[in-house]
Amino acid sequence: MAAGPTVKKILESYQGKVRLVIKNFPYKYRDYAQIAAEASLAARDQGKYWEMHELLIRRSPRLDRESLIVYARELGLDIAQFTESIDKKKHAAAIERDKDLAAKMDLFNTPTFFINGRKIVGERPFSTFKQVIDEELKNK
Amino acid sequence: MFSKFFVIVSLFILIWTGFPAFAGTLVPITSVPVPEQNPQTPEKIELGKKLFFDRRLSGDGTMSCSTCHDPDHAFTDGLDISLSYPTTRNWRNSPTLVNVAFQKFLFHDGRALTLEDQALFPMMSSFEMNRNLDFVEEVIRTVPEYVEAFQKVFNGEPNRERMAMAISAFERTLLSRNTPLERHLKGDKKALSDEARKGLAIFTQKGKCVDCHFGVSLSDDKFYALNVPENPEHQTDPRIAATRRFVAKVYHFEEYRTLTEDPGRYLITKDKKDWKAFRTPTLLEIAKTGPYMHNGIFATLDEVIDFFDRGGGRGNTILKPLKLTDKEKRYLKTFLAEALSGESEIFEYPKVP
Repeated sequence: MAAGPTVKKILESYQGKVRLVIKNFPYKYRDYAQIAAEASLAARDQGKYWEMHELLIRRSPRLDRESLIVYARELGLDIAQFTESIDKKKHAAAIERDKDLAAKMDLFNTPTFFINGRKIVGERPFSTFKQVIDEELKNK
Repeated sequence: MFSKFFVIVSLFILIWTGFPAFAGTLVPITSVPVPEQNPQTPEKIELGKKLFFDRRLSGDGTMSCSTCHDPDHAFTDGLDISLSYPTTRNWRNSPTLVNVAFQKFLFHDGRALTLEDQALFPMMSSFEMNRNLDFVEEVIRTVPEYVEAFQKVFNGEPNRERMAMAISAFERTLLSRNTPLERHLKGDKKALSDEARKGLAIFTQKGKCVDCHFGVSLSDDKFYALNVPENPEHQTDPRIAATRRFVAKVYHFEEYRTLTEDPGRYLITKDKKDWKAFRTPTLLEIAKTGPYMHNGIFATLDEVIDFFDRGGGRGNTILKPLKLTDKEKRYLKTFLAEALSGESEIFEYPKVP
């Protein structure tokens, strides 16, 4: 089970009713977690966040710089712009902000979800999310 | 002569078990068994609670005992296969710690005989908290509040044995409170709803549940191979394969590299009858502790009841089909969900130093 397909299903099932906000939490002891977070945000700058996100999960743990550039090419991104972004760590400050937020909230497990403030830790089946979202929509 | 012998044997049984519980009997919680070597004190319990929630006990500082035994999920993590150390996967379901004080064997395969033994396993385990015990002792010794608390509680410095003792003391306080079944057993005639009372009759008669689920914690503390279906993730996730092979290797299972299923208790005893056998779990708080079975293969109580109703998994020799009607299944589920759920309390989280 991976969280990605479940999140997609949630967005499809609740179109217009839920908003997804993603925060980065690159694992500190993984060699390429930080640069992979940079890569996903560099792809977002070119409108291909989800495409890159899915590739990163599918190709993990091969997430070294050279591999990331190959993936960017596969997605048809502007390679010069992408490479400059990951090399200069363009999004480092934003990623650090996300990490600080997680530490302040005492969050250490990925993925962790918040639905209107209700915490769900770990990969869960769609039914778990459905129950919480339905309750929250009802309480609106 | 005969009667004297009888008295001695009876007394021995009473002392040994604390409270007589025999197959088929349901017993309310009266007292909690506490080992002589680790008496409960309020300070020790509080220290254990702090350690239970302390992420210092994991190698990378992301996991504490409470990660997989979360008060919000009746001290499970609510997942089919338990949470794990980052980059790894666990292979079994996280069992509840509520009423764990009554268990004679810990873990699904019963590899630990006391809570004090049990507590250090997940700390060391590569796919759980992944902490070196020599190292964690030094880490805890750097925290002045802990040094002071260990001195007060144990009259000595922090070490792994004392950490395990404190955590165990805390775990022995996790009990079901005032379940409808308990009130019923103590004579409250209104404790069970009509449906739950009918469910209790199924539980003790046609459903045969009580053959294995009896006594204070509704478990005989034995191991059975019910041939529960495999969790498909065991076949598809290479991280689970690594965990399975690692555990089998540690337990000197010769063909650990080609092992494709969970051998259960066999890994511990190497006894053929224990192949794929797992411990009878407690049923108290069952409504809050899903998914069910050692690998979390059943998401709901309905699925569990259906499994037992059809006589368990293919090829098992323990269970026979029960032929429960839909109504009987409903009564049984009502009993399990209503009568075995204690009063919920607001859990007070500790302030970890």
